[in-house]
Amino acid sequence: MIYLDHAAATPVSKKARAAMEPYLADNFFNPSAAYLPAKKVRADYEEAKSTIAHCIGAKGSDIIMTSGATEANNLAFSLIKSKCLVLATEHDSVLKVAKNYDHAEIAVLKNGLIDLADFKKKLDDKVDFVSIALAGNELGTIQPLAEIAEIIRAERLRRLKNGNKTPLFLHSDASQAMNLLDINVARLGVDLLTINSAKVYGPKGVGALYLSHDVRLTPMLFGGGQENGLRSGTENVAGVIGFATAFKEAKEHLNGNRKKYEKLVKILRDGLKESAIEPIFLGADKHQLTNFCPVSYPGIDAERVIFKLEENEVYVSTGAACAASKGQKSHTLAAIGLTDTEISGSLRLSLGELNDEENIKQAVEIINRTVKEEYERNQK
Amino acid sequence: MNATKNKTVYLGMSGGVDSSVSALLLKEQGYKVIGVYMKNWSKDLPGMKCPWAEDLADAKRVAVKLDLDFEVWDFEEAYKKRVVDYMLEEFKKGNTPNPDIMCNQEIKFKLFYEEAMRRGGDYIATGHYAKTDGKNLLRAADENKDQTYFLYRISNESLEHTLFPIGDMKKPDVKKLAEKNNLHNAYKKESMGVCFVGEVGMKDFLKEYIDIKPGEIREVESDTVLGYHEGAVFYTIGQRHGLYISGGLPYYVVKKDLAKNIVYVSKNLNDDNLWTTELELGDIIIRTKKAPTEVLVRLRHRAPLIPAKFNGKKVVFENAIKRPASGQSVVLYDNEICLGGGIII
Repeated sequence: MIYLDHAAATPVSKKARAAMEPYLADNFFNPSAAYLPAKKVRADYEEAKSTIAHCIGAKGSDIIMTSGATEANNLAFSLIKSKCLVLATEHDSVLKVAKNYDHAEIAVLKNGLIDLADFKKKLDDKVDFVSIALAGNELGTIQPLAEIAEIIRAERLRRLKNGNKTPLFLHSDASQAMNLLDINVARLGVDLLTINSAKVYGPKGVGALYLSHDVRLTPMLFGGGQENGLRSGTENVAGVIGFATAFKEAKEHLNGNRKKYEKLVKILRDGLKESAIEPIFLGADKHQLTNFCPVSYPGIDAERVIFKLEENEVYVSTGAACAASKGQKSHTLAAIGLTDTEISGSLRLSLGELNDEENIKQAVEIINRTVKEEYERNQK
Repeated sequence: MNATKNKTVYLGMSGGVDSSVSALLLKEQGYKVIGVYMKNWSKDLPGMKCPWAEDLADAKRVAVKLDLDFEVWDFEEAYKKRVVDYMLEEFKKGNTPNPDIMCNQEIKFKLFYEEAMRRGGDYIATGHYAKTDGKNLLRAADENKDQTYFLYRISNESLEHTLFPIGDMKKPDVKKLAEKNNLHNAYKKESMGVCFVGEVGMKDFLKEYIDIKPGEIREVESDTVLGYHEGAVFYTIGQRHGLYISGGLPYYVVKKDLAKNIVYVSKNLNDDNLWTTELELGDIIIRTKKAPTEVLVRLRHRAPLIPAKFNGKKVVFENAIKRPASGQSVVLYDNEICLGGGIII
């Protein structure tokens, strides 16, 4: 198998699996129970939360554990009282929630980066919530979050001067960036941040939402009052411990990862360029997560390519209108101005732990051969 | 073999094992095969996602595996009008229609057929269990799977240009062939019932389109009110579910008064309303030149064939049969040949 879809899911690391194991059976107690063994589980859980929080430069009490990034994003939006702005290339778990509110979409440039002029224009007096992913899930474009936070700070100041009491919060979904960027909430200047275990070699179904101190959320789940009353439900102890272990591990390997993937992506790109049918490379090269390689072969049916690659046990994804996207073409690729033909020919290759030089070279050969076959098929 | 060379077949592919194996067989026989997914319906229901995109992907995966061209033809508008709306109207009239029969008549063997011919195709093909000798519609080799009940209304013209590649096969052999050729869909769960209704059931589907209208449930013998229902149109004669009556023997719907919105039930399975020795048919289609008189009759898909007499309007049985609901189809056979049929008035 050659897995080139790490942006979709990552395998749970050995360390994370080992760390989780005791909490699935022996230490199964409900952390809210009164007896000692349960209190021990509570302590381990809180420690895991602290570990996760430390990875983003926060305290354990600053984060709310959720069932994943989708829930964290949904919960973040409960803050809106007036109007939100979202980047046109956001994940559906942001775009679709935004549709429940007065909202506007911020345009992106052809390279996938935020159109700052459009952002400033749309940041009107009513806006109280802005959501921009640190790195996009389709193109891996790293948005200039610190710069965006600066604009938000200036706007807050302007409002105070004018006696406008509307607050303004910045939320960012950092799920895709966790393996490659040193995430620090203070440096990023965000008020809320979404993180996701499944993208960082932790178990699926675990995520968290970081909240700065002046954020007052409305819970979506009511019950036992866990997570400071903001997210009721018995704690997913094993999941959170797995997440903590995996995130810490990833954090320790940030620099190594970045370099490793830079090198592998270069081999991948160079290899794809050598093909008779050369792809268009999508996204902003310098502002892209180094494990991302989104491409397009205009005129080629990417879904056919995916099925052929699948027969060779090479797994990739596409922004084309297909089953994975409920027949809808990628809104991200449309937002950067790709034509329908370019979108239909798009492949997202995302690298990770399961890749090395050898399997990337193999992948290049198989992809090039498959694309050529499809190209020749079209010529007939 | 040479006869198939350069002949173009448009094959309806659903993602299921039957049409997948059909694709394999046609390709092996030397046809130029173009796989087509007919996009007929994509509406989600509350709590149920319409699986059309997954089905499409399954169909396309098989086509790509067999190195076939593959297209998606959109019939959603026509399907809504000619199949779903027809079905809703019939239910509102108190009938129990069969939308699959209408889908074959109006979509697969009409619009799909016409489009295939317009594009220069020599044949269309489907994964139905049925056979044809070029003129007659014939029962499938697998009596347990025979689908001619659903096909009796398709036009002779389209039948002349239709191939049923698996009509000579038994279902277990179709599955085996799929597995042998590594068509992963061989392992796909088989869909049951009306495709667009899916798992939610007909009543829940109908409730999306027809407002509930509470009414009385009365015992037919005593005319006493036993309970209440959500609308007589949701009930079918002979049905025993959903009457909100508990205890004792089950009740069966034996009669509906649509005007008064009353559903009559009985515990008596021998109630006259449930049995008959004859059925009057409307919308009759006779596929053969002369109308048959001595026939075999199928009252439901996969139901056994029963001998009967046919006078051009009515089928008459020697012994009383359990009466199928009005709106259902009665399909007539002369041994292997499907002679046509009609819809119970």
